[in-house]
Amino acid sequence: MKAITSLTALVLGASLAAMAPAQETTTQTPPPAEAGAGAAAAVSGAAPAAEPATDAADGGDAPAGDGAGGSAVLPNGMDVTAETEENGRWYNAEGIPTFKIDGNVVDFATFNGYRRYSAECHVCHGPDGEGSTYAPALKNSVLKMDYYAFQEIVASGKQEVNAAQNQVMPAFGTNKNVWCYVDDIYVYLLARGTGELPRGRPAERGDKSDDYTAQEDSCMSM
Amino acid sequence: MKRLLNGALAALFLSGAGGYANESVLAETAKPEQWAIQTGDYANQRYSELDQINRDNVGDLRVAWTFSTGVLRGHEGSPLVIGDVMYVHTPFPNNIFALDLANDGKILWRYEPEQDPEVIAVMCCDTVYRGVAYADGLILSHQADTTLVALDAKTGEVKWSVKTGDPAIGETNTATVLPVGDKVIVGVSGGEYGVRGRVTAYSLADGSEVWKAYSTGPDEEMLVDPEKTTHLGKPIGKDSSLNSWEGDQWKIGGGTTWGWYSYDPDLNLIYYGTGNPSTWNPSQRPGDNKWSMTIMARDADTGMAKWFYQMTPHDEWDFDGVNEMILTEQEIDGQERKLLTHFDRNGLAYTLDRESGELLVAEKYDPAVNWTTGVDMDPNSETYGRPAVVAEYSTAQNGEDENTTGVCPAALGSKDQQPAAYSPKTQTFYVPTNHVCMDYEPFRVAYTAGQPYVGATLAMFPAPNSHGGMGNFIAWDNVEGKIKWSLPEQFSVWSGALATAGDIVFYGTLEGYLKAVDAETGEELYKFKTPSGIIGNVMTYESAGKQYIGILSGVGGWAGIGLAAGLTNPNDGLGAVGGYASLSDYTELGGQLTVFELPGEASASAEPAADPAAEPAPADGGTSG
Repeated sequence: MKAITSLTALVLGASLAAMAPAQETTTQTPPPAEAGAGAAAAVSGAAPAAEPATDAADGGDAPAGDGAGGSAVLPNGMDVTAETEENGRWYNAEGIPTFKIDGNVVDFATFNGYRRYSAECHVCHGPDGEGSTYAPALKNSVLKMDYYAFQEIVASGKQEVNAAQNQVMPAFGTNKNVWCYVDDIYVYLLARGTGELPRGRPAERGDKSDDYTAQEDSCMSM
Repeated sequence: MKRLLNGALAALFLSGAGGYANESVLAETAKPEQWAIQTGDYANQRYSELDQINRDNVGDLRVAWTFSTGVLRGHEGSPLVIGDVMYVHTPFPNNIFALDLANDGKILWRYEPEQDPEVIAVMCCDTVYRGVAYADGLILSHQADTTLVALDAKTGEVKWSVKTGDPAIGETNTATVLPVGDKVIVGVSGGEYGVRGRVTAYSLADGSEVWKAYSTGPDEEMLVDPEKTTHLGKPIGKDSSLNSWEGDQWKIGGGTTWGWYSYDPDLNLIYYGTGNPSTWNPSQRPGDNKWSMTIMARDADTGMAKWFYQMTPHDEWDFDGVNEMILTEQEIDGQERKLLTHFDRNGLAYTLDRESGELLVAEKYDPAVNWTTGVDMDPNSETYGRPAVVAEYSTAQNGEDENTTGVCPAALGSKDQQPAAYSPKTQTFYVPTNHVCMDYEPFRVAYTAGQPYVGATLAMFPAPNSHGGMGNFIAWDNVEGKIKWSLPEQFSVWSGALATAGDIVFYGTLEGYLKAVDAETGEELYKFKTPSGIIGNVMTYESAGKQYIGILSGVGGWAGIGLAAGLTNPNDGLGAVGGYASLSDYTELGGQLTVFELPGEASASAEPAADPAAEPAPADGGTSG
């Protein structure tokens, strides 16, 4: 519990930091229109009726991205549209971390989420958020649980131990390699789950901003 | 420190007793109707003299009986058979069932240990367990939480129990144990948690610690003699490990010991390999990182090291050196020698003289291997015994935060722990392999006790410009260093092989097939799809005069993590995702033992083998580096 408290403080500290000036290296246009039909299905919470053909490459997950009106709402009600940037990370209108993809270029935090996920999470949850024989596909989990529930599980872990299964996720709250990047991992999984980011290493990424680096250094040296 | 000194003293006293094998292990493994040790015998040959089931009748094989383990996670290892009793183990929670083979497999006793499930959280790569051992009327089980327990083989009653590690700092167990003499020798897992690897010997009588030999650190803690312990014929010298690390990194430097162990009763030496140095980011640990990635030969009584051979100095790809050491007596250059053959994760197959540690052969056993051009075999060379690293694929030379692409093999190696078999009849090794490559990007990580300490991002994909599959099952000549034949497989072959005097070789596949192939030609003679993917090892035994083949199904392990959703080559760009098979399209979880037999009474049917389906592929360009 102590760990969680201090980490919450850490997160608060990070988000209280001064608003960062807009980056010059990545252009910030709204995500392109990609998957209107799928998004509509996702919004209503029903099974996607009409999958867009472009989604075939990603195994047929319901994409939630919707560039048409600038809104992209997940089954859990979250709008993933990036509105503001702070310390090199993007946030939606409610201040929840989200991804920003401009053409082939993903923002640095989302790219870094790919790296951190692939180092820390994939040994149980499989490559690309796709799940393994025993651990759930997190790219789907983040569409259902909200950001705070995600954070809580990463920080405190989770146990489902009974006659049928022995599933235990460790608490990563004291692991700086995970916790300093928990938002990056979250937005990476959002980008995967909405179908906006294909499997594998993102082709191109935005540059790492000085604010991002400063915040990273501060967190990793705490 | 006090405990260590006591151990060293005890070792000194005990060494006076002289080296002797464990008589019960030797006696039980000498009976071909039994499967008395996970590895078939002390030499790790996984060969059975039983020949009722042979190349002429194996096509008639059918399921005799099955047994569900009640556990869903990855099932590695195999059952043992001692007399009329079969001992079946499970992954965490490491249950054990004793089945009465004389009474339709009725459960004689079961052992269901209480373990803190928190240990699951610090097990890299699934909660696998590679099985129990038997010696002196005891069933020895080394549980996930590092509890080593000795059970009365007749009743399941606990005789003694000892804790060999601390899961709070990431120390866990997945391996079987090796009973030798009056001791049982155990390793430790946790290379991805910065665990300091070591091998520990406990007294079979009461579980008290006899000796402990670390893979890294000060000479006295590694049980080495700077003058007498050799590396390629030369003394390793003082502080050989400490001098090869920067600062105190060796304390969290890995070199774990989770593979299969072998033993030569004549030389009284045990053989095993050490795992990756921690972290996976090579820039954080300059130096050769001794003695990670090393084949070790140690005196079974004292633990004192006779010789080392470090295969991958300063690892840059997570090529753990833990795979099994297979001991054979063969002629090489006209001379009968005591050989040790090892198929390393790094894609090279090594043949050494196991008495002296002399390196005889080091060749690629998958033509896809590209990180090295080969091992320097010139004893007069400065770099004797070292692999020549190709700069393009060097994650250390490319540096932190750089993505090194197209490295073959991937971190899971051309072969992981899935053990090979050796047939003295054909003098051939039968090797389950991975045919997977990777991109590897190292980056800086901080160490927290009990937390993952990895430091690299991996993306894995089937070997490019090949058959598109992720595995091969190969026949290997360890004297020539050449592939004899190679059977392409859609997925990595993650099952231990079995060779028999019936001129056949068995292995399992991740889709769940048990396959039998001709030991000479590789021709497929039989296959049957079991309920779940196979990562267990094939075993055989005889009961009431009839031969049986047993295999554990239950997909999982590292293979189940990486392949469940299929692999993609990020370099192929978009659209390639659907091009590769997902394991989840073929199989689901579930632990089950399937036992096979021939129809009718013990005598074999003489019908010709059915369905010679798969023609073996040629060796695909040879193995030269």
